[in-house]
Amino acid sequence: MTTTRLKLNLGPQHPSTHGVLRLLLELEGEKIISCEPDIGYLHRGMEKMAEKMTYIQYLPLVDRIDYLAGFFYSELLCRIVEQALCIELPDKVRAIRVMLLEMNRISSHLLWIGAFLMDLGAVSPFFYAFREREMILRYFEKLTGQRMMYNYFVFGGVRKDIDYLEDVEYIVSYLPQKLDEYEKIITENPIFLRRTEGKGILEPDTAYSFAITGANLRASGIDDDYRKSDYLYKGFDFKPIVLDNKDSWARYKARVLEIRESLNIISQALDYLKKADKLEQRLINPINLKLPQGDYSAEIEAPRGLACCFVRSDGQEKPYRLKWRTGSYYSVNLLRELLKGEYLNDAIAIAGSLDIILPEVDK
Amino acid sequence: MALKLIKSAKALYEGLMTVFVHLFRKPVTLEYPEKRRILNDAFRGKPEVNGCVGCGICKKVCPSGAINYKKDENGKVYFYEFDLKKCIFCGNCAYYCPKAAIKMTGEYELACDNPQGLKLDYKGGIND
Repeated sequence: MTTTRLKLNLGPQHPSTHGVLRLLLELEGEKIISCEPDIGYLHRGMEKMAEKMTYIQYLPLVDRIDYLAGFFYSELLCRIVEQALCIELPDKVRAIRVMLLEMNRISSHLLWIGAFLMDLGAVSPFFYAFREREMILRYFEKLTGQRMMYNYFVFGGVRKDIDYLEDVEYIVSYLPQKLDEYEKIITENPIFLRRTEGKGILEPDTAYSFAITGANLRASGIDDDYRKSDYLYKGFDFKPIVLDNKDSWARYKARVLEIRESLNIISQALDYLKKADKLEQRLINPINLKLPQGDYSAEIEAPRGLACCFVRSDGQEKPYRLKWRTGSYYSVNLLRELLKGEYLNDAIAIAGSLDIILPEVDK
Repeated sequence: MALKLIKSAKALYEGLMTVFVHLFRKPVTLEYPEKRRILNDAFRGKPEVNGCVGCGICKKVCPSGAINYKKDENGKVYFYEFDLKKCIFCGNCAYYCPKAAIKMTGEYELACDNPQGLKLDYKGGIND
């Protein structure tokens, strides 16, 4: 008997591909022989755009690189400028930024849990996750003025002093019980287990060769968290979540545990902020801001892996070149390896477990 | 095997019970056109200009080129024009305005049938 191979386009408008991603699959029966990710449907030219904009004009736009975790990218651009002009952040600014970054991480992970479960066919967790995420977004809106495009960090500090801390306190006390609820519905559910346990196994060697970072790497048993060596997180006590299962289930569990760890960091920052004095920061005048000639780079542990920004300045008020490294780009590439030999009906479950956000991939 | 089956059944039961309880909870959403959310003062909606001195900083910090100014025949007074079709409501202009002349209001329903309705004209400023 002869078998013919079938080429199948998954996407770009498949409802389960987050954003617009086209996967060109080669099938033998239902088995995937090879997978070719095709990206670029959401390309907005974020890097090229920076070359004709001043730093202060570019700052509101970086929130849009990853619209689920906008704070991380504005933090990166602020870091570049602060590093170039040797600005040291006051402790209160550090605490504010850490608190907001971790809340942003939680909101991003919550949306991922909802979307991932939706990929697997479970609808209710999506609504529950959105309900909790809404509390965080409402707080962001109160503080910064908008729900997703915050534009709150400025070079050398934050736009205004932190406020509405009682809301954060409520979120910190309320979320753990809701997470228990999610875990009751999801973690031990036999249907969920059959679709995730042992599926999409990511070996540490493969993860290294594909430059995977973040929760995906830590779910493969590698203790690598950039936050541990980040100056922003100095003085905060937390431990990276490392799991040894290597499969889709581990990636889910790692993110749930990461939310709990983030809540721990937030409560530490909250304790500090409640006792802290009024905000005193040294802001720079951004109107004629010019970075000294040279190369600058900064890294941060974003929800989807290590995010980096590289700026080459020629002493003008606009960057000469600006590049972003985003975690999702590498996760998409990993699908080539991870989908090989799996069945078609697991393809979406595995792709979903990697937490891919397409605007971040295409930039 | 039997143990696994019992464990699975228990997990399913617990999950279904958690979902079941939600049937008796109050809705968390608002029925939008009839009921509207009360927005915070910090909300960044349609900008409003009042008391501008014509320094031009807002044009310089605007990322999307939504702000333009032009001189009148005498070359003295600036006409500021906010193009809300281009505006991304980032709030840079309001934040960097030295006279706090620009304010972001809570108005967010900006759809209109006339494109001129999305242009904010402000005549004023000193330029001596």
